[in-house]
Amino acid sequence: MDYVSLLFSRTVTVGLIVGIISLYSISRQKTDLNMILLTDLVEYGMLVIIAAIGSDLAEALILPGLVVGMAELLAVAEIFVSRNDLRKQGQKKKSKLLEEFTVKEIPDMDINFSKMEVLYTAPKFFAFVLVVYGAILSGFTGGAVMASGLLFYVLAKRVLGQKILPEDLKVSWEGISAFSGIAWAVWILGFIGFFLFPSKWPYFLIIAGFGLAIKVGSKLGLIGELFE
Amino acid sequence: MLVEYIAGNFHGIIPLGDIVFYLTDFSLIAFIIAMLFTAIVYVTKPEKQLEAQVHEFGDKFNYVTVEELKIRRFMSIVCGIATAFSMLTGDLFDFALFLAVIGITNIGIVSAVKKEWVLNAAFHYGIIAIISSLPLFGAAALILGKTGTLSIFELAKNGHELFYQKLLYAVGMIGETGVAPFYAAKAEMFRAPGAPYILMIHLSSLLVIVRTVEILLTIS
Repeated sequence: MDYVSLLFSRTVTVGLIVGIISLYSISRQKTDLNMILLTDLVEYGMLVIIAAIGSDLAEALILPGLVVGMAELLAVAEIFVSRNDLRKQGQKKKSKLLEEFTVKEIPDMDINFSKMEVLYTAPKFFAFVLVVYGAILSGFTGGAVMASGLLFYVLAKRVLGQKILPEDLKVSWEGISAFSGIAWAVWILGFIGFFLFPSKWPYFLIIAGFGLAIKVGSKLGLIGELFE
Repeated sequence: MLVEYIAGNFHGIIPLGDIVFYLTDFSLIAFIIAMLFTAIVYVTKPEKQLEAQVHEFGDKFNYVTVEELKIRRFMSIVCGIATAFSMLTGDLFDFALFLAVIGITNIGIVSAVKKEWVLNAAFHYGIIAIISSLPLFGAAALILGKTGTLSIFELAKNGHELFYQKLLYAVGMIGETGVAPFYAAKAEMFRAPGAPYILMIHLSSLLVIVRTVEILLTIS
């Protein structure tokens, strides 16, 4: 037996087992809501069996199967809700579906988050790792990673309740924007280098990527400062 | 041969891309019947119902709102059209999808009645329909995996050993549409107001069962 057909039969078996186990658990259920959720599981077994074929036709068949299953699930859920409404009409107290999961009153929380040591040390570390990793990536992606590191740092500071003073904000804003401008100039320099010295393209590529990473990172970092 | 006897004369195919509709005596007659009953459902006016009381004199008039009846009529028309085209289709997966649509519309017809016991039966029928989508679509997928095609037209040409797949397919068909009359009876739908539209459930399940038997005998 070759590898593909072995995989096929194993996957079909897994799908059937999922269906049978779900059927057993449906038969053990007392509440109707759990029954709906478990029937959804049976459908996933169906999707697994279709996906086991693994051809492009199977890929085209999964979507209609999923849509039909979703439609049936929606219909059954709607029936469930309206039946429960009808059932509750006779009683005085009306309760909604999934009422036990909604918050009725604000819980009495007496936890001082800012005393947690990890909140002081972890953001710096994460921001540092992200900035370094973004610098290694370079380009737009690297810039985005760097900026997410900076954003994370700023937001973590905000959670701790440490306000950044307006003076500091002004200084850092101007500093970062100037830095971004310089990085932009570096990027343009690297870009022009492609056309002037095509033979030395690796150096200029590195220059352009570095400049772009710094620029995007600092620009998005400024957005993080703005949120502050 | 027996198979040809069931399907009747072959009249040709309707080429619509990959989905091959084909016409035989059987499918044409069933298509016409389904379309005829759909038209009848479209023009029928629903009955007004009086309910006899057990412990007191006088009858109780069951009032059904117009919106409810409109929903039920729409559902039965969709059910009729899906039944009609499931008679013509030449694709196993397509047929399964038509079955699922018929199942959903059956749920819609039953559940338009705002009575608790009716909704209870509709709920259980919906659960069964969802569960039986596993054998139905799974069997179609297994046939595709074994033979490489879903076209009934192609599957009829060369013999494959498809016994278990066909068994699974029949089980899926029964759960998806075949049991619908039982649940309609469980809900006492004949007694529930707005009765005529639910006859579409019976017609569709009858035609679909016969058509499934024909398909399962044709592909072998």
